Amino acid sequence: MDITTVTAGLRETLNANQRPTGAWGYRGIQDSVESTCLAILALRQHPSLKLTRATKALMALQNADGSWPAFTGDDPEGCWTTALAVLSLMLVQQGTTKPLASGIQWLIGARGREANWLWRWKLSMVETKVHFDPAKFGWSWVSGTTSWVIPTAFALIALAQARQRGYNRTAQLDGRVDLGTSMLLDRMCPGGGWNSGNGVAFGVALAPHIDATSIALLALTNLEGEPGVQRSVYWLLNRLAGCPSLYSLAWGVLAIAAYRRICPEARESLRDRAEELMRLTEDAASIEDNCTLAVIALALEAVNGDSAFEVRT
Amino acid sequence: MNPDRRRLIISAAGVAVGGMATARLLPEEMLLRDRRPRRSRVAIIAAQEYSESLDGVLVSGLREFHLNLRGKSVLLKPNLVEYIAGVEVNTNPVLVGAAAQAFLKLGADSVVVGEGPGHQRDTYLVLAESGLADQLRSQKINFVDLNRDELFKVPTRATYTGLEHLWLPGTVLKSDFVVSMPKIKTHHWAGVTLSMKNMFGVVPGTKYGWPKNVLHWKGIHRSILDICATVPVHFVIADGVVAMEGNGPLHGTHRHLGKIVLADDPVAADFTCARLMGLDPHRVWHLARAAQFLGNGAYDRIDLIAEGLPLRTNPFDVLPEFASLQMRF
Repeated sequence: MDITTVTAGLRETLNANQRPTGAWGYRGIQDSVESTCLAILALRQHPSLKLTRATKALMALQNADGSWPAFTGDDPEGCWTTALAVLSLMLVQQGTTKPLASGIQWLIGARGREANWLWRWKLSMVETKVHFDPAKFGWSWVSGTTSWVIPTAFALIALAQARQRGYNRTAQLDGRVDLGTSMLLDRMCPGGGWNSGNGVAFGVALAPHIDATSIALLALTNLEGEPGVQRSVYWLLNRLAGCPSLYSLAWGVLAIAAYRRICPEARESLRDRAEELMRLTEDAASIEDNCTLAVIALALEAVNGDSAFEVRT
Repeated sequence: MNPDRRRLIISAAGVAVGGMATARLLPEEMLLRDRRPRRSRVAIIAAQEYSESLDGVLVSGLREFHLNLRGKSVLLKPNLVEYIAGVEVNTNPVLVGAAAQAFLKLGADSVVVGEGPGHQRDTYLVLAESGLADQLRSQKINFVDLNRDELFKVPTRATYTGLEHLWLPGTVLKSDFVVSMPKIKTHHWAGVTLSMKNMFGVVPGTKYGWPKNVLHWKGIHRSILDICATVPVHFVIADGVVAMEGNGPLHGTHRHLGKIVLADDPVAADFTCARLMGLDPHRVWHLARAAQFLGNGAYDRIDLIAEGLPLRTNPFDVLPEFASLQMRF
């Protein structure tokens, strides 16, 4: 079976799983912004009424301040899904719309709790069990909490694409991207790769996670020559062999596809991992989680040279 | 009145009154209904290894509690954090499988296993690499990723965090009988992680971030109390066959305790587990508070229906900041 056939099947399942609201849940009946965004990204190259309805549903979920919640009915504080929503709207809409512009503006203004000088002081002078530089901050999962790797990486991808596509080319955005990038580099695990938040805690080096490492690498493609980034690519290449999880494997394939141009090992590994991903997808009796379905489709598209997450300037 | 404001006012009043009573009983407890059972039952059972014999051990242990499980849906909530090769981080899959079989044998209508790992977003990866996926597949037991379940807004039944409500997974709320299955471990932020701390895993990462970051900012001990006051824990099966000491919950060292602890009260379970660890439960902030309204901690309100507590215990190693927890005999 080839990539085109497998991705067509995944898109068909995603279309079938779309809820009457136009959105997607993770599995059940509650609309989830993460699932909806990833499904929109996976379907973006195939305009249809379903895609239009999905885009409208996503915009309807936006909070008044430009951010997005995590799911239908959620409290109105914005959260990490805003980056995915901005990315999705950029890739399916022509021109700047008010929801998109306000989403980008919210992202530029959002920051981890360590951005506050008092917390920065406390985290660098008093609460030092977790090793990191609080002056380098990114984005949090939820407002009022510290920066974490995946929300920061998604925000960097969204803002870098906003700049690349001309939606926002302000110095404010550039500054925010630079600071977020420095945060990711600071939080890297000692041997490369990223755990959920920090590389060292209580004097112990933490083990990287596949999805966090992959998404961080996607956000750092402009720093492909940076030694830490290269170490992370090699860590990922080793870790992906035999990965039993479709979700992590798919994120890994997206990342190594982004680095194949500069890394021969990534190029070689990509074919094997993509075949493994297709084999596991075919073997799975059913994939109930819509995020996983969408990320697999996005990964296989990236193998064919079309990545929704890649940023190159 | 907003709980934050209410707590502020009552705290101010408490400070003004001063005295030992205020120091021992925080204003939060003054507002809470005493939900402690008259007596709690705890069974400490010897188990030297993870083997098929655990099936029988659990069935006979559970029978001692005379649980009415007929027609009930049971949710097993193990501690599934992260897979680290060679390290006993998670509730052992063999024990989870044995618990599932035991509850079905004792008349439960259905058993499902659910967890929302704190650090790892890819729950299935931990499930597969820990061996739990194979265990559950072989027994035809379903697993639910609580981080991605349907969520419902539930008013908190305690006021320690100031959160007026928690978003909780439907699978947890719809279950008739919730069983917390912790791994007995030390914890670098909370001192210990037992059946009450284990309930952090029912709070969804989708809403609260990974590792449930909102709750860390609200205070781990306070969050544990609000979660356990809001989510009913009907039973505890604690995995102490191989426990963890030192820099838990991930990077500590193994401690062969050789025990499983069953209990019909999570507070009584955690007090007993802490005592087995040679740690003073009264010095663990959330346990001391929980024993004032949620469950029993006092010796005279806990019936040990199997083994007794050992007369002497070599305390678990802890990080220096938790040295005061260690009981000296």
